[in-house]
Formats: sequence, structure tokens, C-alpha cells
Amino acid sequence: MTIPDRPGPRAVDGRAPDVFSRDGSVAMRQFPDREEVDFAIVGAGCGGGVLAAKLAEAGFSVVAFDAGPFWRPLSDFASDEREQEKLYWLDPRISGGDDPLEFGQNNSGRAVGGSSVHFQMVALRFRPDWFAARSRLGYAVDWPVDWRTMWRYYDEVERACAISGPANYPWGPKRRYPYRAHEVNAAGQVLARGAEAMGVPWAPTPLATVSAPRGKSPPCVYRGMCKIGCSTNAKQSVLITYIPRALDAGAEIRDSAMVGRIETENGRATGVEYHRDGQWRFQRARNVVCAGYSIETPRLLLNSANGAHPHGLANSSGTVGRYLMAHLNDAVWGVMDEEIRWYKGPPSMACCEHWNYTDDKDFDGGYSFMSQGPLPTDFARTLVTNEGVFGHDLRRQMTLYNRMAGLKMVGETMPQASNRVTLAEERDDFGLPRARVAFSHCDNDRRMQRHARDFMGRMLKAAGGRDLLETGATAHLMGGCRMGDDPETSVTDSDGRTWDIPNLWICDGSLMPTAGGVNPSMTIMANAARIADRIGALAAQHEPERAHG
Amino acid sequence: MRTIARNTPHRDYGSAALGLAALALLGGVAIRARRRRRLSPRRKTQLAARTLGASVITDSAMEHARGGFHNPVMYAAPALATLTTVAAAGRPRRTWPIHAAAVVVGAAGLGFHAWNILKRPGGVSRNNLYYAAPIGAPGGLAVTGALALAQGARTRGDGRLLGGFIALGTLAETGEVALLHDRGAWHNPAMLIPVTLPPVTAALLLDQALRRRAATRRITRGALRAMAAMGIVGTGFHVYGVSRGMGGWGNWRQTAFAGPPVPAPSSFTALALAGDAALDLIGDRP
Repeated sequence: MTIPDRPGPRAVDGRAPDVFSRDGSVAMRQFPDREEVDFAIVGAGCGGGVLAAKLAEAGFSVVAFDAGPFWRPLSDFASDEREQEKLYWLDPRISGGDDPLEFGQNNSGRAVGGSSVHFQMVALRFRPDWFAARSRLGYAVDWPVDWRTMWRYYDEVERACAISGPANYPWGPKRRYPYRAHEVNAAGQVLARGAEAMGVPWAPTPLATVSAPRGKSPPCVYRGMCKIGCSTNAKQSVLITYIPRALDAGAEIRDSAMVGRIETENGRATGVEYHRDGQWRFQRARNVVCAGYSIETPRLLLNSANGAHPHGLANSSGTVGRYLMAHLNDAVWGVMDEEIRWYKGPPSMACCEHWNYTDDKDFDGGYSFMSQGPLPTDFARTLVTNEGVFGHDLRRQMTLYNRMAGLKMVGETMPQASNRVTLAEERDDFGLPRARVAFSHCDNDRRMQRHARDFMGRMLKAAGGRDLLETGATAHLMGGCRMGDDPETSVTDSDGRTWDIPNLWICDGSLMPTAGGVNPSMTIMANAARIADRIGALAAQHEPERAHG
Repeated sequence: MRTIARNTPHRDYGSAALGLAALALLGGVAIRARRRRRLSPRRKTQLAARTLGASVITDSAMEHARGGFHNPVMYAAPALATLTTVAAAGRPRRTWPIHAAAVVVGAAGLGFHAWNILKRPGGVSRNNLYYAAPIGAPGGLAVTGALALAQGARTRGDGRLLGGFIALGTLAETGEVALLHDRGAWHNPAMLIPVTLPPVTAALLLDQALRRRAATRRITRGALRAMAAMGIVGTGFHVYGVSRGMGGWGNWRQTAFAGPPVPAPSSFTALALAGDAALDLIGDRP
């Protein structure tokens, strides 16, 4: 069975698509199903893609599976919002709770490279204190990792993705970006003017799109089609950075391959059952890594339940699927006197992390906010869903499109055990149970929401905005299989190794114990780079039963 | 050969090596070339003014067209640059008001560009210096006018004055290049050449202007010629740089405007020519 409207596997016959060409291909090592590879990685995005590259470079045999296709950006990414919906994970999920999450463009990806293929390229780091949120700031839980370690890996992944950022970033410990910040567009200058009027710092947003040539990547041409696939390869997604590195190092990328189950025997994972090109197959592996993000990773672990693990794999603590977090993504929009044309350039060219680094406030956690540049369909949808405007009203509001500016938050929600992923009765096209997701905001989330709407509203007014309009949404996903120091309250240790099954690992955003008030991609990538080095170190220490199968 | 899947910086290193080789060849030929007596200091200065003028005309026309000439004053730069460049062929005694106007408008342009930087949020920030109106560019118009006026230089004193002026102009130009190449994150190692060779040349020339040291005159002339060659090779690099934009030269209406300015590097050639003229006057005249 194949899913309609999706190309079949492209990485076949020892060749994989050359992402820097329109129709070329490059050599790719392939492993037969019967060969026991060192690592079978489920998911090839910010977690799995980085891990696959680094493990292959360290000499391990690696097969990375992705349910989505292996695109060539130069020929597959049209400048068309609807056409690009092929990049999202749009298979239905059953969403419940008091504040059901909407799934799709803001929190999923279904392609080799994962959601980094269509992310808005915002490349921010956690505030160092957040890695010890409980002990330093008194809320949520501590990460099992020291911030200085994470800081080194942020450096590493920012170099790998040639992040373009400002020379002097106003918040947190000093950092140095490989490429220079882009010119701030008019929408970003609105934020800047507002920040100066309110007396808080602002900065050009560090972005994963190059401001000068980088090998075969031309500098960004500011098309503004960044929330969908970048058709010039200026965007430094995992698809064009780590995936090609993985191929060069001898990893196999198995695209359009949906993993349905992880098999175990005698307390150890033995491989993965996957669907590709119309049939179910089984890949043997010494180690299995789940890197399918906060919904699919718990779903896979839960669906792999068997006699020895009746509640799902790695779930003796009952934590799999729990502590799911999203980011508050509320926004304030206003009409400006001057023409803004906010679709020009990357959507979020200026940012403010003031409330991430200021603790004098009536809520725990933090939020950042950024200038906005929604594409027309996206903005029309925002108006329809939030304001209920339609017909003539919608048309009238859309005529203001070129004069609008907006500020949108990325706000940290609290980890709650009741926000969780479980399995539904209903099944998908592969015959696998769909994910059921329950999500409700807590009081702290609502206080943060109120604070942000008020502050962003005042700032937008100070910058000259009028006829303000507030909208609510969520973005990104974090948690669901959190790491920790205690097997009773977490799914994995600090290395991403599950407490229950020594050769079953997790390496994606689901590991995050807290959400932080910034876009998560750099943190997921830095954590994956760190886990790859830890696996290499464990293997070198001759822990074969644990690290190397 | 096996195709490499990953992105590589090999284009940068390859082109840098090629450019360095071209510079070595061209610079070597220039340095070893026998002094051409046929070209008087006056002719050299005139050639310098016209070369710089051509660079300023093209650069200001392109950059101001990119800015949509949103302020009518923006027409002044390419218009006066054209006038002063054409008039540079005439007699300075009759054309001096045009050249003087170029100097004045160039100087005023510096003010306009500074205002363009300062009015943006962030004021004198790296981002504004990178992307607002280029802070030193109008200086090119002023220097063109000044060089056209300097055709009348005859004496050793004139030569020292011209040499000092060119040395300072070269340093200012180097500052602008450093800023803009930093904006490009020095992605090509060759981008370091125009911030290393010109300051050395400027220092040598300044030394000649101040102290007339005969011992270093030959090396100063060699440095000037290498700098002239660098301007030509640099133009080649910028032509290549434009091709690196999305769509390459086939999409020139975007890439030639958004990429490295093709006319810019030749200003170093012009400055070197004028420096050479100054050196002639310093060395040969009573």
C-alpha cells in the first residue's frame, strides 16, 4: 500500500537523491534486511539526521528510516503554500483535552530532514539556567545535562548549519555565529522600534539560512517562502547539511519507510518492522533509536508492546507519552501607516528574549517573541480560525496585508503528566493505531499567555501599530519521552538510552524535560550531537552490551 | 570519481587558489614591467580619475537604482560622476567647477549615507553598517573630483600632497572593504587580500609622502602595481561572486545587484595609478 500523492522510495539501488541538483543522485551504501546493522534510526530529522551522520562518521553501520520522501529542494519545492503541505505530517491524530493541539505545519514534518525542511530557521539557544530549571529557578525539573556541555554542542551544530546571527547577541553567554546576521526587514524593524520605545533589547534573529555563499548554497534571496521548503538551498536544513554527511560516511537513508514496530527478544531490541514500497519488512539491528519526535516516538514505543513489555517498550515507569509540551504561539497583529510587505525575507528577522532572561514576572518559565511574515494563505487562515471573519470581511482585512506587522511569542508551557500521547482504537492506512493526544494548559501557561499578549500589544502600539488583533495558537512539540536521572520518572538516562532496554535509545525532541521559551530545533540538534558522542564514548569504553549491541 | 553528497567549501578554496595565481602572474608582470616614460604623471592622474569615475558611475547607478531612487537626490551621484569623468579629459582650468562640485556632492553624500544608517533602529550597529547605505561610498565621488583637479600637480610638493591623499583614501577604502567582506563572513579566503595588501601599500606611500625615503621607493612602486593588479583580479572575483547567487548571471537583474559589486574593486587600480603618479612627482621633480 502506498499513500497517495507521495512519491515512492527514491533512495534505492545504491543511489540517493543529490540534494544540490535538480535530478542527480549520489552513491549510497545499502544494507540488506538480514544484516544486523549497528544502528537502526527511526526518523531522519533534527534528532535522527544529526545522529545518523555522526554515528556513521564514527564508523558505525547505520540505517536511518523516514516515513517521508527524500526531496530535492531545487526541483521539488514550489513557491506555493498548498503544494507544500506535502511536507507536513497530516495523517489524522485524535486530539483532545481542554486545549486540543492542532497538528500539521507548526509541529511536524514528514520528509527526510524532518520538520527542519520547512522550519522558519530560528536558531536560538536555551537560557543556561533552564537546564537546571528546578534547582535554579524553582519550577518543573532539571535536565540531566549541564548547560556548559550543551553550549559546546550548540557551537557544533551552529557551525554545521552555518547560522547567520548577530555579532553581539544581547542575552546569555557570548556566542559567535559563523555567518553574519541578515538585513532586518521592515517587519523586523517594527519590533526593533517597539523594543527601543519600551526600553528592552532586541536583536536580528539568528537564522539557519546563509547570508553569503556557502559551497553549493547560494546566499538567501529573501523570497519569503521560508515556512515551506526553500527552493534555493539557502536554508541549512538537516536535509542539506547532516543527511549528505551521513551518506558520505556510509549511512543508508531509507526514505518513504514507515516503521510500525520495534521487536524485542530477551529484554533487547532486535530490529524494526517497517513498511516500504508496498510491503512490510524487518531490519535487524544491534541498537534501535527512536527519533520520530514527540508524537510518533511514544506511539511507536506504545505500539511495540508485547508479552514482556505489556504497556509498551521502555514504559515500566509509565512515563512514555507523558509530559508532552507545546509552545504558546499567541500573537498580536496591527495595521501600520507605512507599507511593510512582511512576506519579504525570512518570517522572523528580529527577536526579543527579554522575558526569557528577566525573572521579575508573575509566571514560571519564559517566552521570546519575534516579528512575523505570514504568507497570504497562512494569514487568511489565522484570521478565519481566530476571528471567524469570512467573505467580505475577510477580503477587507486581507487588503491590509501589505501594511500589517505582528509579534508572535514562543512561550514555554509546563510539563504535566496528564498532557500525553496514547494509542487510539482507530487505525491508519498502515493498520497501525492512531495517536491520541490529550493537552490542557495549566494556570501558569495562561498567566504567561496574558502577560505576553499585554506586553506584545503595548510594544506594537509603541511602534505605531493600530487596530490591534490578538490570535492564539501553539507551535512545536517537546517531551513525551523525557530523559532524566531517575528511572521512576523518566524514560531514558542522560545519554538517551532507555532505562528498560539497554540497546533501545531515543534521540529527538521528545527527550526534552522542559520546553524553554525558544524554538527547539537547535536544542534538539545539539542534544543529538551530544548523544552521538556519548554513544561513541561508551562504545570505546567497551560497553558492547550497552552501546554497540 | 565518486560524487560527494555533502556541501563543500571547495569552490571557495579553488577560486581563491586560481585568483591568487592570477594575482601573482598579473602582479609579477606589473612589477617587473619597465617604467613607461610615455605616461606623464598628469596622464596617470587623469587615467586614475577616469577609472575611478567609471567605477563610481556604475556602482552608484546600480546601487541607487536598487534603492529605487526613492530620494531624487540619489540621481546626483551618478550624474556628477559622469560629468566629472567626462570632463576629466578636458583642461582643469576650464572644468574645475565640475570637479569641485563632485568633491562637494561626494562629501555631502557621506552625510546622507550617515543619516541613512543612523535613522534605522539600532543606530550605529553592525547590522546597519552592513546593510544601510554604505558609509564610505560617496567618498569615491569626492576622490574622483579631487583626482581630476590633481591633474595640475607639477611639483614635488604637489606629489607629496597627492601621495598622502591617496594613502589615506586607500586606507578608507580598505575600511569599507573590511566591513563588507566581514558581512560576507570572509567565505572565500581571497577576501582577505584587499584588507592586507592595500594598507601595506598605503603605509609605504604615506612614508614616501612624509619622508621621501629613496630606499623604499622601488618597493612602494611594486606594491602600488600589485595593488593595481589586485583591482583587476578582484573584479574577476566579483564577477564570479555574482555567479554564485541563485540563478547566476542568467538572473543578473537580481544577482548583479544583490551580489558583490562588480565595479568596486577597480577603484584600487585607480588609486594605485594615482599613487604611481605621486611617486613620479616625489622622485623625479625638483
